[in-house]
Amino acid sequence: MAEQHTLEIKDLYASVETKEGRKQILKGVNLTVHSGEIHAIMGPNGSGKSTLAYTLAGHPKYEVDSGQALLDGVDILKQTPDERAKEGLFLAMQYPVEVPGVSMTNFLRTAKTEIDGQAPAIRTWAKELGEAMKKLRMDPKFAGRSVNEGFSGGEKKRAEVLQLELLKPKFAIMDETDSGLDVDALRIVSEGVNRAHENTGLGIMMVTHYTRILKYIKPDIVHVFAQGHFVKTGGPELADYLEDHGYDEYLPEGADSESALA
Amino acid sequence: MASNTTELNIPVADPNDPYAIPAAMPSSADKEPRSFDVADFAMPTRKQEDWRYTPLERIAEFLDVFKPSGETTIEISDTKGNAVDPAHVAISQVPINQAPSGTVSKPNDRASVVEWNSGRTATVIALNGEIAEPVLITVTGGGLDLDALHLVITAAAGTHADVIVEHKGPAKLAEGVEIITGRDSHVSTTFVQEWDKGSKHVGNHRIRVGQGASLRHSVVTLGGDVVRIRMDQDFGGEQGDLNMLGIYFVDPGEHIEHRTMVVHNEPECKSRVVYKGALDGKDAHSTWVGNALIQPTAPGTDSYELNRNLVLTPGAIADSEPNLEIENGNIIGAGHASSVGRFDDEELFYLQSRGIPEAEARKLVVRGFFGELVEEIGVPFISEHLMNVIDRRLARGESDAMKAVLEDK
Repeated sequence: MAEQHTLEIKDLYASVETKEGRKQILKGVNLTVHSGEIHAIMGPNGSGKSTLAYTLAGHPKYEVDSGQALLDGVDILKQTPDERAKEGLFLAMQYPVEVPGVSMTNFLRTAKTEIDGQAPAIRTWAKELGEAMKKLRMDPKFAGRSVNEGFSGGEKKRAEVLQLELLKPKFAIMDETDSGLDVDALRIVSEGVNRAHENTGLGIMMVTHYTRILKYIKPDIVHVFAQGHFVKTGGPELADYLEDHGYDEYLPEGADSESALA
Repeated sequence: MASNTTELNIPVADPNDPYAIPAAMPSSADKEPRSFDVADFAMPTRKQEDWRYTPLERIAEFLDVFKPSGETTIEISDTKGNAVDPAHVAISQVPINQAPSGTVSKPNDRASVVEWNSGRTATVIALNGEIAEPVLITVTGGGLDLDALHLVITAAAGTHADVIVEHKGPAKLAEGVEIITGRDSHVSTTFVQEWDKGSKHVGNHRIRVGQGASLRHSVVTLGGDVVRIRMDQDFGGEQGDLNMLGIYFVDPGEHIEHRTMVVHNEPECKSRVVYKGALDGKDAHSTWVGNALIQPTAPGTDSYELNRNLVLTPGAIADSEPNLEIENGNIIGAGHASSVGRFDDEELFYLQSRGIPEAEARKLVVRGFFGELVEEIGVPFISEHLMNVIDRRLARGESDAMKAVLEDK
């Protein structure tokens, strides 16, 4: 039995600075995720799903107005992004950032060293990296290239899952991991997430607009996120319902119903 | 109409080969005379193109002939500290106006003509043959009294050699460097400026690359209150290959200026200029001006110049100005790129979100920024040292930032 951890988001309000001034996006988010659980966080575009993901990871653009996010009792919202990562939180980004001049190998080794508090043993690390890349069908030459630089959309997502597998967080937020992936890439990436889930028993929050990734990564709990907070929670059957009915009923009055599901 | 009209003789382009004839205008990038006589150069003002970025008031003493303090010392050895082989590395002192001193072009601005007329002797390093171990010339300043130094580096035909010139200590130094490489020689010269705080350095390099020869000319400026180095180059024959590389790291209040002036005067020569700098803190000021002139006599020219600046903290200013003047249409290429970028918050967040603390993340990004270029300088003795200095510099930035935070409190 893997270690049990809890991530508890309590009454979280957060804002972003826009050209029109400060705008509150998260309006009272409450959610508890335990180790081993897979939560799907679904909702219409602009509902604040990604804001929730980035606020939890500590992106400087988002400001917490009130509330807490307790990882095993520690409020990570008071921590810097790197401290949160060391606490065991991982964000797989929708648009992973290119870092020119920093090789993937150097980056991964540095991150692993920081997260573990010690440098990984060279031989086992090289082996682990090689095997993880192979399982994700990543060309070994990616290890020598700059972080995400010149990677295609699919390659970037694979690189995110590679980090998930190597860094072994307690909780992972997968932000629109399925976007921009063709069927084959979606399967490979999903297998990676499932592998990490099986091997480490981490808790996962899948932020997604569409249901197609949920055919590969089976959620235990499905939430609907709309207008800055959770409005409905159910089992996997809720995803099927959303597939058929869309998000219309969760859109604010007068919004156009452009929420077709794939 | 008045009768005093001048007849203009503007060449007419051949429609089948429109670029075959040279442009009608003389070079507009460089109107300065070439002369050994101070009187030929007016006192610079910031209205002049060549001096517009330079804080002239901070280098006023370099603009009138002076009596050198003689406090600067030069030591020459190989990079392992052993004496050089006199059969391959001949060192001599000659009066400044005796060949080979003064044979690579002539002074080209007020500062260089003042250096020429203030110094008495030139140190000549004459290289020949295969020289395996890099030659290390250590120039140590002896204080803040104004001094002059003239170095001449010659490479005989077929020479293979690496030369490193290190500048350190406290100094106010007017420096002239002449580099002349012989036919089919392959030489690298690396100039490192790691002056103590308060130092000033105004340098002028005049460079001629031999026929079929390659020269890698690197400049690394890591310290000095004001450092201004102008480098004028041309080719002594066809199929020369020039690679000019530069790295600079500018601290608060410092002015670090590099001006590369590449002249393609011979056929089928290649030039690459790549300068990269990082700026840290208030009133850190860097200037890079890259002039490339491709003359009518240089068909088959292949030239490219690039400058990138990474601004680490607010309050720094980076001037970056490439100038291309192409008087010959029959060339392979003439390109330039220039950028000034801020340290990217998104990159920082990405690295941090993987557990890497901010200071470490900055280090990774800056090392990455310089990494390839440091590799390309290709002298291991320098590369490792450089990365260490850059790391130290970044670490110092951290503690300064911490100090500021504490002081604010």
